[in-house]
Amino acid sequence: MKDTLILGIETSCDETAAAIVKNGREILSNIINSQVNIHSQFGGVVPEVASRKHIENIGQVVYSAFLEAGLTYSDIDAVAVTNRPGLIGALLVGLSFAKSFAYALDRPLLAVNHLEGHIYANFLEHSGIDFPAICLVVSGGHTSLLYMSSIGEYELIGQTRDDAAGEAFDKVARFLGLGYPGGPAIQKAAEKGEPGRVVLPRVFLDRNDFEFSFSGLKTASMNEWNKLKRKGLADVNDLAAEFQAALVEVLVEKTIQAAIKYKVRSILIAGGVAANQELRNMMKNKSQELGLSVYYPSLELCTDNAAMIAGNANISYIMGNYAPLNINAYPGLLSL
Amino acid sequence: MLILAIDSATPVAGVALLDGEKLIKEEFSNYKKTHSETLMVMVDRVLKECECTIHQVDAFAVTIGPGSFTGLRIGLAAVKGLSMATGKPVTGVSTLDTLAYNLCGSNALVCPLLDARRQEVYCGFYDASGVIPNTLNENLACSPEEFTARAKDVARDNKKDHIIVLGDGYNPYAEFFKQELGKSLQIPPPHLMLPRAGALGSLGLMKARKGEFEDIFKLRPVYIRLSEAEYRLGRGEL
Ligand SMILES: [Zn+2]
Repeated sequence: MKDTLILGIETSCDETAAAIVKNGREILSNIINSQVNIHSQFGGVVPEVASRKHIENIGQVVYSAFLEAGLTYSDIDAVAVTNRPGLIGALLVGLSFAKSFAYALDRPLLAVNHLEGHIYANFLEHSGIDFPAICLVVSGGHTSLLYMSSIGEYELIGQTRDDAAGEAFDKVARFLGLGYPGGPAIQKAAEKGEPGRVVLPRVFLDRNDFEFSFSGLKTASMNEWNKLKRKGLADVNDLAAEFQAALVEVLVEKTIQAAIKYKVRSILIAGGVAANQELRNMMKNKSQELGLSVYYPSLELCTDNAAMIAGNANISYIMGNYAPLNINAYPGLLSL
Repeated sequence: MLILAIDSATPVAGVALLDGEKLIKEEFSNYKKTHSETLMVMVDRVLKECECTIHQVDAFAVTIGPGSFTGLRIGLAAVKGLSMATGKPVTGVSTLDTLAYNLCGSNALVCPLLDARRQEVYCGFYDASGVIPNTLNENLACSPEEFTARAKDVARDNKKDHIIVLGDGYNPYAEFFKQELGKSLQIPPPHLMLPRAGALGSLGLMKARKGEFEDIFKLRPVYIRLSEAEYRLGRGEL
């Protein structure tokens, strides 16, 4: 059978990315132009600034993806692009480029849901994943639990009511003066601290559903920090450790509850927060007790990239599920 | 020389195909749908109706700003994709130059205005009496009050009796302009009021003939304004 080569383009947040993936499995190139240093001076992603960087960088990033793969434009079979969810202005840069590029090459355009892309990162690196599965997508923009009956078949079973987990990491890290991005900063501080010395709530853990809320945890952390400082007992590492423990515990418990309720065989973690070591370890320990397999991507494929977009698009390519020329971008999840 | 012109700088979406000095097709849309949904569909229709493929096009022309930030990026991203995939070059044309070109031949001071929101307009001041409009003052974003004050000065300095105001920056402040500029104010008819892809294509053709092409990897919109966050950072407010 002939190989399928797909170009993926991803501009939903603050990374301008392009990648070429063969047969939905083999990454031939994976170019990421990160804007993290630009946004760190603002303390978080500024949508207009992100969009401005995307339009400046998109051409070079796509060119580099071909150069690294040793391919010419006409070698590819399809162009895949993230069209939801994400920052609308940012998504529109990638989508508009992908449309015209695919049009001029006379190749099909494939629209990819960013969350499905994150989950697919697991399939780029692991084989033999058993279905059904529960997927926890957890990043700066999302905290969602999905039931996956087979490849490409998703049902959203719960998500955050307010802040995404990664957003809570960023905001608390900024408040504690630990820097940006917050995930790695808090993880590092937590290694030197001890959870339990300060007590923070496990929000929604008592509820019998798969909804999350992290805004309350964020506020409680800030209040606790101010209280400790007044008493002269403030230890930033202990607070970071407790914050991380409180957040991870809720993520793991809810995921495990979902896995039991839906009688699945596997648990997949995806998204930027899937890089968190505490989350990886705790999920592994808890699911081993239940005889479930846990998968998460390597650190490079946890954060936003276009290889996961090109990989996921292979499913639509095989099904002939091509996007029309008038397809739009959407900030929200819509249906999966 | 076949020029494909693509404009999505303002609420208008426009696509035109020119064969040298001959305009063969032009599509203009000032209706609700977003550029993301319409623009490439228009490109496809224009080419198909002219029995032409994208690979026969010799150069692309695009409005590079000022205008709606998102609209500009949709247009630029579209020509970047087309240019890379076909290997054909891009000419970038100012949105205000494109508008001023609608009034080519006029002896009045031609002032294209774009709605810049936040009670401001993007504006330019042109002598349009020659073959191509000549800009008399740098393009800027300012309040309608500042615009009329400048327009009066530039008109006086250049001995212009009339001031033509056009573009989507006119309507929101029409009453104010009428009051402020009085009898010197002239408004063009509806078909000359908004950016036309045909005009963009003509200006693009002139640039292409002179070999004035953009570096596709560096091309970015001319926003005139910083983003709100950059502005505040510069003022030390962040
Ligand atoms: Zn993401």
